Amino acid sequence: MKKSIRLLGLFLTAFVLVVLSGCTAGAVANQNIVERVEETENPTLIWGVKADTNLFGLYNIAEGEIQGFDVDIAKALTEEMTGDASNAEFVEVTSKTRIPLLKNGNIDAIIATMTVNEERKKQVNFSDVYFAAGQSLLVPEDSDLNGVEDLTSEHTVLAVKGSTSAQNIREHSPEAEVLEFENYSEAFTALQSGQGDAVTTDNAILLGIIAQNPGYRLAGDPFTYEPYAIAINKGQEPFRDEVNEALDAIIENGTYAELYHKWFPEEEIPDLG
Amino acid sequence: MDFAGAYSWINIRFLLEGLWVTLEVAFLSIIFSFIIGGVLGLIRFLDIPVLSKAAGAVVDLVRNLPLLLIIFFTYFALPQIGIRLSIFWAAVAAMTIFESAMLSEIIRSGLTSIPRGQIEAGVSTGLTYGQTMWYIVIPQALRAMVPPIVSQFVALIKDTSLAVIITLPELTRNARIVYGQNTNYVIPTFLMIAFMYWVVCYLLTKFSKRLEATYN
Repeated sequence: MKKSIRLLGLFLTAFVLVVLSGCTAGAVANQNIVERVEETENPTLIWGVKADTNLFGLYNIAEGEIQGFDVDIAKALTEEMTGDASNAEFVEVTSKTRIPLLKNGNIDAIIATMTVNEERKKQVNFSDVYFAAGQSLLVPEDSDLNGVEDLTSEHTVLAVKGSTSAQNIREHSPEAEVLEFENYSEAFTALQSGQGDAVTTDNAILLGIIAQNPGYRLAGDPFTYEPYAIAINKGQEPFRDEVNEALDAIIENGTYAELYHKWFPEEEIPDLG
Repeated sequence: MDFAGAYSWINIRFLLEGLWVTLEVAFLSIIFSFIIGGVLGLIRFLDIPVLSKAAGAVVDLVRNLPLLLIIFFTYFALPQIGIRLSIFWAAVAAMTIFESAMLSEIIRSGLTSIPRGQIEAGVSTGLTYGQTMWYIVIPQALRAMVPPIVSQFVALIKDTSLAVIITLPELTRNARIVYGQNTNYVIPTFLMIAFMYWVVCYLLTKFSKRLEATYN
């Protein structure tokens, strides 16, 4: 009896995992977003954004809304596509919930510091790249690390989940150990506590951390690029094409540059071509 | 570390809002679990053929699953079969499923702790079996159940933090947003939410000890 119950538990676990991996797409997810936008009077677009990541998507407690570069880009794209930025609705996602929510049709698109990679391309479609900062290492001032080439098996690098920064480090210095955290506040605190030797993520974010924390520096030049793109469900290719057109339009009319400067004033606007 | 910045009133108020959601979810779940767990526990206690075995199987199944998995299930799997719950209710549903199994065991052992002889005595004085249960067994059993139910409630308050994974706006998730503002807020914020969890859980434990003392 007990054994069969355990087995049943195992099966249920397997079932949940299969469902989670998004093998079955819900009926709502199959509805054509472009048609829905054209047919409804006041169409809303629902974007999945982060709420705990400064500069990209962070819930502003005083103003009661999520703010950041991702959010502003989503608003600008919504304005391009529906004529009104207030048609954009935002749903908080984490690196674990965003793909299931997209597959279940809870959100129309993910714009949440999500890097394009081959594995994800099997599950979702990506728009053109909307953010491509260089990836560097952040180290304490007195560190002996001066670039990614100095990493050895003695070193631990602290990375953030969801972006491909961890993967990139593994490619550049396969010997180094990598630990992943939910957001970079946690990764940086781990560095302060001596859990690792360097934090790696986009330069834009690292410079923001240095501004808040004197005593830390970048080690060496950027060694790779992290291309962030908007993820859209499979089967929504017309919507992806519209997103790409809208992205071109906001780059063309200067909105993109304006938003980039608003969130990353120190950084040069990257060439997205 | 920036304690003054992390403990601004606006941040503290946001954490307290999170604590309130934590308590709401825990409280609603414990109420629902008491009802469902009560029915399950009673069915198992009464030894009804087939039904008791079935209830036992369900309880054993749920008790041996991690709560995190049940949270994923109610949030991601239920929509696939047409049941769409908000984040709040998905969390309450997951906690209720899990706690019902826990409470059913507490309730069953509470009922079992009353000596059989009392039921026989009750029935021989002319009460029906139902009356014996309702007037004699259940009131005594309830007393024995209160302390373990309160400690289960304390555990549930702490377990609610697992729902951070589905972005339930509870204490731990709100803490993440507070320290997302500034890397110097991380440790002060952890200390503050540790304090908040501790105060609530400590007061409840004290309350349970006092109840226990009054009953004895």
